[in-house]
Amino acid sequence: MKVVTGVVGNDIHVVANRLIELSLNARGFEVFNLGVNTYLEEFFDAAVETNADVLLISSLNGEAEGWSREVKLLRSKYKTLDKLVMVIGGNLVVGTADAETIVPKYKKYGFDLIFHQVDLNTGLDTLEEYLKERKIV
Amino acid sequence: MSLLQQEREIILSNEHVDNFDFAEVEDFIRNADKNLFISHHFKNKKKMLVQPRGGFPTYKKQFALNEFFVEANVDVLPLTIDSNTRLNDYATAKKMLLLSEENDVDMLNGYPLVTHGYRATRKMVTHFNKPVSLRHGTPDARLLIETALASGIFDIEGGPITYLLPYSKNFPLDKAFLYWKYVEKICANYSKLNEPINRESFGALTATLVPPAITITIQLLEMLLSLEEGVKSFSVSFSQTGSMNQDIVMGAVIKKLSRHYASSINCSDATINLVYHQWMGAFPTNKDFAEQLINMSTVIAAMVGADKIITKTREEASGIPTKEANAKTVANTQYTLGILNGLPKIVDEEEEEILTLEVNAIMEAVFNDSADTLWRKVFNSIKSGVIDVPFSPHIINHNEMITIRDAKKNIRIIKRGNVPIPDRCFLYEKAQCDLTKDTTSMVNDIIHDIGIMQ
Repeated sequence: MKVVTGVVGNDIHVVANRLIELSLNARGFEVFNLGVNTYLEEFFDAAVETNADVLLISSLNGEAEGWSREVKLLRSKYKTLDKLVMVIGGNLVVGTADAETIVPKYKKYGFDLIFHQVDLNTGLDTLEEYLKERKIV
Repeated sequence: MSLLQQEREIILSNEHVDNFDFAEVEDFIRNADKNLFISHHFKNKKKMLVQPRGGFPTYKKQFALNEFFVEANVDVLPLTIDSNTRLNDYATAKKMLLLSEENDVDMLNGYPLVTHGYRATRKMVTHFNKPVSLRHGTPDARLLIETALASGIFDIEGGPITYLLPYSKNFPLDKAFLYWKYVEKICANYSKLNEPINRESFGALTATLVPPAITITIQLLEMLLSLEEGVKSFSVSFSQTGSMNQDIVMGAVIKKLSRHYASSINCSDATINLVYHQWMGAFPTNKDFAEQLINMSTVIAAMVGADKIITKTREEASGIPTKEANAKTVANTQYTLGILNGLPKIVDEEEEEILTLEVNAIMEAVFNDSADTLWRKVFNSIKSGVIDVPFSPHIINHNEMITIRDAKKNIRIIKRGNVPIPDRCFLYEKAQCDLTKDTTSMVNDIIHDIGIMQ
C-alpha cells in the first residue's frame, strides 16, 4: 500500500509530518514523504509517479483551505488518479471552526477522509478501516 | 581591487541601498564607542549578560522597545529582522514598512534593517550606546550584515548550517556556506579596527529533541568555519533541553571542546563564549506558568555557567510579545541572577565522557571526508547524513536519526541513521530508555516529549 504525504502550501511546520511518516511506516505502508512546503501539483505528480493508493495531505497553519478549492479541477487533469483515496488532516482552518462545518466543506473539495484536529493514531486507524471496507487492502 | 571588495561593491550597489560609503563606515567602526561591542562586555563582565528578543517594523516602535529594555536594565539589545528581509525580498519589506507607518498596525514580524538603512539605524544604536545583537535566520545575509555592521551592530547571529536546516526546505546549502564565508570575512576585517566583532551560532536548531552530540558538533563546525576566516570572538550556544543534568553536561563539554578545536587550528587567541537560550520549544499558554518556566531556565543557565542568556516572555505561546511583557522578563531575569548565590558544582563524569566520545567521533568523520576545504567536508557530511538534525524541514537533511526522552527527560538517541555514534555510546543511550514499546506508543511518547513544558 503506497502513500504520498506532505504539508501543503507555504507551511513549514515539520514535526507532525515526521511523525506521520514514522507511524505510516510502522503500520506497513510504503511512504513517499514530500515534506513541508509542497504544492498541489507536486502531490499529484508524485501520486502518478509512485502509483500511490492514498494521498495524505496535511496542514498546520490552516492554509489548506485556500489550496483545497483547486483540488477537483487539478485532479481532473490527471488520467490515472481515479482510484486515489484522498485524505486531509491537521488544522484545516485559519482561525477557529468546528468539524461539523469543516468536514462537509472538504468533502465538496474532493476529499474522502477529513481529520480536523483529530489525534494522529485515531486518524490512521480510521484510514485503515476505510481501506479494508473498500477492499483496497 | 580585491575579489572580496569587488563582491562587496556589487552587493551594496542596488536600488535598496542609499549610497554605501565604505570609507565613512570604516571610520565609524574604527572610532566606535567600546560599549557597542559585546566582545568588550564579555571581556569585562562580572555577571551573565541578559538579552531579550524583539523587533518591530517602524523606527519609532523599535526605539520605544529599546527604551523599555534599558529601563529594565538590559545588557544586550536585540534587533530581530522581519521575514521578508530574511528572504532578501526587500521590495515587500519596504511596502509593508510603509503600510505599518501609515496605519499604525504592524505588517512585519521584525525590523526591516536594509529598508531603514544604516544611517537611520546607527542613530538609534549610538543613542542607546549598548551592544546590539542581530537576530534573523537569513541564508544569504551579505547585504543585511553589511548594513548591520555599518549601523554599529557588532554581535551577529547565524551561520550556514544553523540558519538553514531549521528554517528552509530547499535553499541550496552549498550557496549558504559561500554567502556566510563572505560574512565571516567582513566581520574578521572590521575586527582589526577596534574591539572584535562577535559572531554567534544558533545552537537551538529546531528546538525539537535535538541530541546534544548533534548540537555541539554543529556549534564546533560553525565556530571553526568562522575562526578560519579570521573572526576573533565567537559565541557557541544551545537551548534548554528539558533535563537540568543534560544541560550542565552539555555546558561542560561544549566549553572544553570549543577550546580544544579552536587551538587545533591555531586559533587559541580567539575568545569563545557560551550563550544559553531559555526554553525554545512550545510554551504553556498559562502566562504565570510561562514565567515559572522562564525563571527555571535562568537558574539552569547559572548552573551551566553561561556568559549570556537569551530570554523568552510570558506571552510566548500567544504571538509576538508586547514591549511591556518583554521588558518584564529582562527585569525578572536580572533579579533572579542577582539572588542566585552559592550554586553547587555538579559534575557527571560518565555523561560527559559519553558525550565527548560522540562529538569527537562525528567531528572525526567530518574531517575524514575527502573534500579539500572544511565547508565542503561539512556540506558532504550533511548530505550523507553523518550530521542529521531531527525535525529539520530541509530536503538535504537525512531524517534517519530518532530521539526520545528517558525517564529523567534526557534526550537519547535510539536510532543512529548514518551518524557515527560509537557503539559503546549508542548502547549506553539505548540502555536509558524503555525500548519494549511498539512504534504507535513510541510516536505518542515523542509527541509528549516534544510538548514536555506545556
